[in-house]
Amino acid sequence: MDVPAAKKPRRHKGWFKRDWRLYTMLILPVAFYLIFCYKPMIGIIVAFEKYNLFKGMWGSPWVGLDNFRFVMKMSDFSSALRNTLFLNFVGLIAGFPVPIVLAIMLNELRSTGVKKVSQTLLYLPHFLSWIIIGGMVLQIFSPNSGLINATLLKWGWIDKSIPFLTDGPHWQFTYTLVGVWQGMGWGTILYLSAITGINMELFEAARIDGANKLQQIWHVTLPGIRSTIVVLLILNVGQMMNISFDRPQILGNAQVRKFCDVLSTFVYRTGIENHKFERATAVGLFQSLVGLVLISGANFVSKKLGEDGIW
Amino acid sequence: MKKALAILLSLALLLGMTGSVLAEDDWITLRVETYDREITGFDVTNCWQLKYAQEHFGDPNHIKLEFVSFARWTEGDLLTNALAGGTAPDICLTYNGSLVQQCIDDEGIWQLDDLLNEYGPNLKAFLGEELLGYGQSDHDGDGVKEQWYLPARRISRANVGNFIREDWLKALNMEKPTNVEEFTAYLRAAKEAQLAGENTMPFSFGIYAPDPLYNVRRFTDAWVDFSQVTEEDWFAYARNPEMLPGSKEGFRWLNTLYHEGLLPETFALTDNDKANDTALIMGYNGFFSQQPDQPWRTDKNYQIELEKNVPEGHWVTVNPFKNESLGGKTLHDIYAPAGLSVIIPLTTDEKTAIAAMKYMDWLAVPENMFAMQNGIEGINYEGLTEDGIPYGVKSADAVPNENKMHAGDIVFISNGLCYGDDAKNAAALALPFAGYEDDVVASYADALTDAWTQISFTVAIQAETDYGSTIKSKQGEFLAAVVSCSAEEFDAVYDAGIEDILNSGAQEMIDEFRAAYQAGNYRGVFPGNLD
Repeated sequence: MDVPAAKKPRRHKGWFKRDWRLYTMLILPVAFYLIFCYKPMIGIIVAFEKYNLFKGMWGSPWVGLDNFRFVMKMSDFSSALRNTLFLNFVGLIAGFPVPIVLAIMLNELRSTGVKKVSQTLLYLPHFLSWIIIGGMVLQIFSPNSGLINATLLKWGWIDKSIPFLTDGPHWQFTYTLVGVWQGMGWGTILYLSAITGINMELFEAARIDGANKLQQIWHVTLPGIRSTIVVLLILNVGQMMNISFDRPQILGNAQVRKFCDVLSTFVYRTGIENHKFERATAVGLFQSLVGLVLISGANFVSKKLGEDGIW
Repeated sequence: MKKALAILLSLALLLGMTGSVLAEDDWITLRVETYDREITGFDVTNCWQLKYAQEHFGDPNHIKLEFVSFARWTEGDLLTNALAGGTAPDICLTYNGSLVQQCIDDEGIWQLDDLLNEYGPNLKAFLGEELLGYGQSDHDGDGVKEQWYLPARRISRANVGNFIREDWLKALNMEKPTNVEEFTAYLRAAKEAQLAGENTMPFSFGIYAPDPLYNVRRFTDAWVDFSQVTEEDWFAYARNPEMLPGSKEGFRWLNTLYHEGLLPETFALTDNDKANDTALIMGYNGFFSQQPDQPWRTDKNYQIELEKNVPEGHWVTVNPFKNESLGGKTLHDIYAPAGLSVIIPLTTDEKTAIAAMKYMDWLAVPENMFAMQNGIEGINYEGLTEDGIPYGVKSADAVPNENKMHAGDIVFISNGLCYGDDAKNAAALALPFAGYEDDVVASYADALTDAWTQISFTVAIQAETDYGSTIKSKQGEFLAAVVSCSAEEFDAVYDAGIEDILNSGAQEMIDEFRAAYQAGNYRGVFPGNLD
């Protein structure tokens, strides 16, 4: 009984002395988060002010929840919110499984050459700016002159061009498809590394037991990367309320405005273009709060289901 | 002795140094906003005009001039950030009226009355009392209006340029259309005859996203029934031309053109502008509508570029949008006499603010303005006419990089070339476009026919600040929908669109505009009052 009690203080005293190099290395990332992620959070107070361009956040008058009330009353807000959730949800459903399937397929490839080349080609789109992708999308999906429509029209398969970009539901499909294409390679990297972490002996054991490829994937690979899948799923659910500005702004157009107007473009229009930064901040804060609730909820559910969760 | 000499020498050196430091100290730096229009080879922050101003104004006054470049098409957003961050130039220029209003409301800019009276006699004379009135408002509520910004003087107020292909008219054996029916017949005939092969697209059309109906009302206003529009309505619907009685039929006309394939199916797509530019230059189009000098502009010369692809291609002005309820008037909106707004932010100290006013005053002196707007004889232009107006003005790519200039942006107090009086200025409009003088004169004449001055209000309209950008965005959606929907659905789509716009804040705007009209706080012209 005495021994562990005597040990405890010694361990307490020694932790810093022993690992100080590691802790020193932590300074930079911690400083990064403090300066670039925590300090700017003070700016949240702008959401409760009538922001004065010149007096800044410390000198502007306090108005409580006025900005929230104003923004939520706007007719565009609810449609932007709905579109954001819809596009993100569809994007998650369509886009989440793709990297998993791809990672498994790539993992099963025998030739490392083919594997490396296809992996590189797959994640290359991740590095393209949306401006470039937007240009490509127009080249491919444009009515009449776009690659797909022009070809199909020429072959006589269709007699009216498919409105990939100019009709609401079609646009939602195009938007999702392009998003999946752009993101799938990048997501694959994470799963591939998780697969590499699976003990090879498990595969051998499965083979000896007579499991074919599909059975190996089902019983060994997938359970092996389950925790990675869950963590990424939780993180993705937490991102439900967040939507990038460039993708909907660039792929969208006036003809599908009802479908492509999302929170980020709404914020840009009502907050930035009108010089009402307090309203932009209010929407941002609202998004973050909902995101926090969603991510906590997902985490809670996953823990209840016996997974690790993210905290 | 040697030691004493050394000490003496070093003392002298030290004194000399402090002396020069002191001399340096009485120089101040004046940072002036300048637009960057991405003209190839033209560095706005180190251009001939800057060197000229530095030599003739800066050096004698111990002011170091610096031009700070802001991208022309995003200047409002860039300037907002610079103002909020306290890094704005000492002289700020913007076309964004709501930003200026915000600056006045937030009390972040210099009140200019004293500066102008003391240091700006030439500037005051150049701008004139009436124009200065645009920049005045009673912010503190004491019943006296203060000067918050300086409106630049617009030399030419023409805004509308409608252009048709003269070579196409010839090919079709048609006269220049004088009303909408003839014009539509021309578009149909051009499509029918496939004058540019299968790329033929008679009507160049797109959505100008920042203000979608701004360039469309020049067509649809032809259908407005002015027997049902009072002057008060005209001002109340200042930003909602789609709601004026009768304009619905104008939108229906566009819808018809769309379904007949007379305007591009891709008109609503984001990069349609680029495609339109290319189509104009390649000679695919038979009509376009932009600024009155658009075909000959230095930065986008549709006429010269067109001739490279279609040698006989020729853009000429056309004036078919007759309004029958106004006895056949062809309405053209013209700018208010006030151009861009000049403000001095409070982050600029008094000494620099005085320098800023002195600089603008220097610009307003006729000789200086002439030099800064026209450059050097033999390089930027060939010579002077009897009236002292330059002729043979070179386009930007014909001038060496170190002599490239932009008259309008850098001599910002004058929107347009100024040669003293109105007659000279009007004559001068055509001169820069050697070889096309008659076309230019005709275009300006059309643009000023039955011209009504654009509407502005002399009080801040809160609803416009709150909902203005939403309404514009909705109008883009509305335009896309009514032009592209099926003919049977048109009425329903139109009505639903109007309903949606009204519910998104337009009603509040209309009510506030109406109140401002009733209180007399408006400027502009009601077409019903034109003679």
